[in-house]
Amino acid sequence: MKAGPERAVRIGVDIGGTFTDLQVLDEVSGQTWEFKVQTTPHDYAEGLAIGLKEASAAVGFDFGSARLVVHGTTIATNAVLQRRFPPCALVTTQGFEDVIEIGRHMRRQVYGLYAEDRPLLIPRSRRFGVPERIAADGSVIEPLDEEAVRGVGRTLRRQGIGTAAVCLLHAYRAPAHERRIAELLREECGPIDISVSSDVSPEIREYERVSTTVLSALLLQTVREYMASLELRLEQMGLHGRLLIIQSNGGACGLRRAGEHPASLLLSGPCGGALGVERIAARTGIADMVGMDMGGTSLDVSVVVDGRATIVAQGMIDGLPVRLPMVDVQTVGTGGGSIAYVDRTGRLRVGPASAGAVPGPACYAHGGTDPTVTDANVVLGRLDPNGFAGGRIRLDRILAEQAVESAVALPLGLSLEAAAEGIITVAVADMRRAVLRSLSERGLDPASFCLAAFGGAAGLHAVLVAEQAGLRQVIFPRSASTLSAYGFLSSDVRHDLSRTVMLAAEPGSLAPLAAVLRELRAEGEALLERDGMGPALRVFEFLIDCRYAGQGSELAVPVTRAELELTTIDAVRHDFDDVHRRHFAHADPGAPVEFVTVRLRAIGRVPRPREQSVGTAEAPRPPGLRRVFLADCWHELQVLNRASLIGRSAVAGPFILEEPYSTVLVPAGWEVTTATSGDILTQRVA
Amino acid sequence: MTTDNLGPVRLEVILSILTAIAEEMGIVLRRTARSTTVREMADFSTGIFDAQGRNVAQNVSSPMALTLAPCLEQVLADHLPPDHWEDGDVVLLNDPYCGSQHLPDILTFRAVFVGGERVGFVGVMAHHVDVGGGAPGSYDLSAREIFAEGLRIPPVRIRRRGVLVDDLLSLVLQNVRQRETVRGDLLAQIACLEIGARGLGELCAKLGRETVQAAASRLIARSQAAMEEAIRALPDLSVSFDDFLDDDGIGGPPIRVAVDLTVLGDRLVLDFSRSGLQVPAPINCTRNVLQASVHYCIAAVLGTDIPINSGCFLPVEVRATRGLVVNAEPPAPVVNRMTVAHRIVTATMGALAAVLPDRIPASYYGVSYVYMVETVEHDGARRIYFDSEVGGWGGEPGKDGANAFSCGLHNIAAVPVEMLERLYPIRFRRYALRPGSGGEGMHRGGVGLIREWELLAASGTFAATFDRFVYPPFGVQGGGCGAGGRLTVVRDGVETSLGSKISKLPLFVGDIVRIETSGGGGFGEPGARDPAAIAFDLDEGYVSNPPMGSAAATVNLG
Repeated sequence: MKAGPERAVRIGVDIGGTFTDLQVLDEVSGQTWEFKVQTTPHDYAEGLAIGLKEASAAVGFDFGSARLVVHGTTIATNAVLQRRFPPCALVTTQGFEDVIEIGRHMRRQVYGLYAEDRPLLIPRSRRFGVPERIAADGSVIEPLDEEAVRGVGRTLRRQGIGTAAVCLLHAYRAPAHERRIAELLREECGPIDISVSSDVSPEIREYERVSTTVLSALLLQTVREYMASLELRLEQMGLHGRLLIIQSNGGACGLRRAGEHPASLLLSGPCGGALGVERIAARTGIADMVGMDMGGTSLDVSVVVDGRATIVAQGMIDGLPVRLPMVDVQTVGTGGGSIAYVDRTGRLRVGPASAGAVPGPACYAHGGTDPTVTDANVVLGRLDPNGFAGGRIRLDRILAEQAVESAVALPLGLSLEAAAEGIITVAVADMRRAVLRSLSERGLDPASFCLAAFGGAAGLHAVLVAEQAGLRQVIFPRSASTLSAYGFLSSDVRHDLSRTVMLAAEPGSLAPLAAVLRELRAEGEALLERDGMGPALRVFEFLIDCRYAGQGSELAVPVTRAELELTTIDAVRHDFDDVHRRHFAHADPGAPVEFVTVRLRAIGRVPRPREQSVGTAEAPRPPGLRRVFLADCWHELQVLNRASLIGRSAVAGPFILEEPYSTVLVPAGWEVTTATSGDILTQRVA
Repeated sequence: MTTDNLGPVRLEVILSILTAIAEEMGIVLRRTARSTTVREMADFSTGIFDAQGRNVAQNVSSPMALTLAPCLEQVLADHLPPDHWEDGDVVLLNDPYCGSQHLPDILTFRAVFVGGERVGFVGVMAHHVDVGGGAPGSYDLSAREIFAEGLRIPPVRIRRRGVLVDDLLSLVLQNVRQRETVRGDLLAQIACLEIGARGLGELCAKLGRETVQAAASRLIARSQAAMEEAIRALPDLSVSFDDFLDDDGIGGPPIRVAVDLTVLGDRLVLDFSRSGLQVPAPINCTRNVLQASVHYCIAAVLGTDIPINSGCFLPVEVRATRGLVVNAEPPAPVVNRMTVAHRIVTATMGALAAVLPDRIPASYYGVSYVYMVETVEHDGARRIYFDSEVGGWGGEPGKDGANAFSCGLHNIAAVPVEMLERLYPIRFRRYALRPGSGGEGMHRGGVGLIREWELLAASGTFAATFDRFVYPPFGVQGGGCGAGGRLTVVRDGVETSLGSKISKLPLFVGDIVRIETSGGGGFGEPGARDPAAIAFDLDEGYVSNPPMGSAAATVNLG
């Protein structure tokens, strides 16, 4: 069935390094379609436009009927990784200019003989300390020296620096000096891009705040320009619907907000997968899932508990802290392109070095000679050389064999097949550790979790990982290769606001707490209004970061009572004991508690239409037989496709399942138990 | 089982599983412990051992945590032979003279049995917030004997056949401040041994006890062989290196830490017997600390890619006569053992710089900068502010030393100024880099830090164990020394310079304490420095004119 031009559609777009993925949802019928086009790195908006045109032609909708386009972009992430920044100044409290360079000064490599590189975003000569001082309680000890600030402004203008970050000590408590600095700099310099710490991340801990603020300032121009070009292009195409951008917290926001608060996009890339897993949990009713997104260079592990992706208060990019809420995605360097090698002690290792897209695995025949996980799969017959990436890339089996033979089989004295299977076994052991780590950090039991596998390389390894990690179920969602774009389709608008308060958990704190809650709420209402979210669609969730006095870190406690009628502090305190017990296995109900930071999630609900089934532009691959090396010997395995499984009750492994963009291996001891709504659920037999 | 079952792939998978077990023990301990030392500072380590007590896998976040393996070795050899352990027994100790490093580090071990047979051991070390003694946190800088440092526990069974020995637990808890925190951490520490025991037990049940034991032997032999090969690649020679501590803080002379290093085929011998005698101040190292410090150097220089286990250090012999500051005998106090331990590392690295002139960086700051202030307000309220800092790295063969970054034996995170000002009656005036403190060289040393704060409380008492005020971090291959540290108190505008070790200095409201930490030494001749790097340092203010560090004490063994 085609959606007529009058049908309202919603479009999710995920721009990755190689492909731009699209999912189109007919809001009335609930039908979805997926598309893949090449990414255009010189101008990402171009690939997006090509994809939209292809989709509109194939599905048969016109742009005027597109109600909503939800877009995930790595523009901010790439700018940081490639250091594409404008010249930027940093204004701080005098005496604390170097905090951005000193950091927390803890190294990651315990036995490193040489220091690991630490990115230095603002050179010392562009850090300006100004006389002023605010105390920990927010009182002004030393007034702001306005003439000194004007002097900084004149220097910036003379040097042609058009971007500045402002971060003063205790500004989370008293933002007046920071705001005044921004005003004065604008007076002296005219139009200048400024990020102010009390706006970007008004929370205690100066290094994390200055890092987040500086990243924000450095990204303002890049992100704003991208948003403008995107808007213009979509306007020209006649796409007048709303455009939303996905943030690292898994929620969406409007273009203007994204342009003003670019640091909130920094880690949005991997969160699309976690959102997709949330949706799979919702439609299958399996509430606890581990997302395993395995691509060419890495494995992203996310955890969905009770149907919701886990969120952390802070993340890192390139060794720099970004203190904004984000979906918790743990990345390890095991992907299809990970290189296998024998180290000088005789160990067989896989990754984290990757052959990348260029030259790629040896079997790509682009000059790569190192054996990769993908090469091992080709040698073992698990990957069809003619069917890789939807048949777009032809693989050379001979080159794969040569690479595995010379770099692994020969040095270890193994047969070619044993070496190739060894590479997979070692990669699976690494992935097992990553999955178990994500679960045990939260005290979760692997046996009660279902592994959701997606990304080009996950299908061949997911069941092997589940088996080793003690998970009993693996789901291969439909449209697994465009799952992020699918996750975007049902993303709500969401703004995370916060304010450090540092109050004791006692009755006297009620009034100041209520005042902060009211302020945050007003701010949240305004942001949702600007995104076009009417009052009926708005939901507000309050949390308070609490800790026992003397602790060095906090836990977020949801405030379930009507936010402005917080009648009892005791209730929050009591809930904190429970949360603490859940996280750390004990609580201290007698100890004094501090409220450190108040958080608001301002959510604009995007209605979720009923879904039906999926359409794909690709024709299913015909079933057949293939010679596959598995568990030390060659087998003739059945090759099935997804269509051939739907409706059948149980199909026992071993077999191979060919998908348009990926291949699934179901070994012996596992069977497909259900294949409804296009998802395939595999279960351990007994 | 045939040896085919233990091919390289199987071995790698078993190593991965053993490492994951050690990792899970650490994750669970961190989740269930109470103190910030364990939970947020991660001052703990876990290890998996084979049936003979040889270490096969571990999880450490700090180099000083390489303590479990030599400790278990000592316990099994001197106190409780392997056959005396029963299923469910947990042995606990903190005596530095039985294998711990100082009293706050409590170690626990459990033997693991499958089908009545011992298949291995699991162990956990955790730094506890208090074990009694003369000062909170059991850091009594005025201690003259270990008896003043807190409760000293030899290897004892805290659990017998699965039953906790309550009497013993009461005895321990009666002797500590923060009883509930210590109790919680101790129980978490004992409970996480069960995670390890279960993991190791399951692995043995699945693969067979013999297979796991054979794998352990193979892994240990492989690390040993790799280390021997790395040593064989070194030239056969003997070198000596002497480094010094400023003093013992109680009026004594400078203390020598000396190493005579010999490379002989595939063996390394490091003899520290020329070092100074032990002192009645809490900076002495017991044998275990000496070993851990040397092992850290060897791992960093020769074996970052060699899996660390009992095999790695078999080719490395560490010698020292007894009664020295590097191999103290009871009753020498030890709580600030890091003071001497840093010097063991810098001396060892100095000697290695003669063996591997192209690889070894110049000396790092080499001080933990531990200081403590007890503040007293008008109403009598007391608080204890405890902190530590870092300095600059030594210049490296390929680049300048890192500015203000944890190095060597040290790996700590700075506590935010905003948090400290919330918690204590102090106000910071400066937290900044210390320009000019890096040693000159082709690659200059990293610069140290300046940390300056004012006391807001009515009065206070300040104590510090610093070093390298007199003997600064040395350069190598012609590089200059980094600037030594400085400690200054400003009262009513008058600056007073203090020595590096202070046990009880009275402070009053408005007093300003300024701590300046050492920069690292330089690498290579200053004349060989790239002019662009010189210009960059001037423009960006990393150097001062004239430079602070002197070239006089340059050490060149190349």
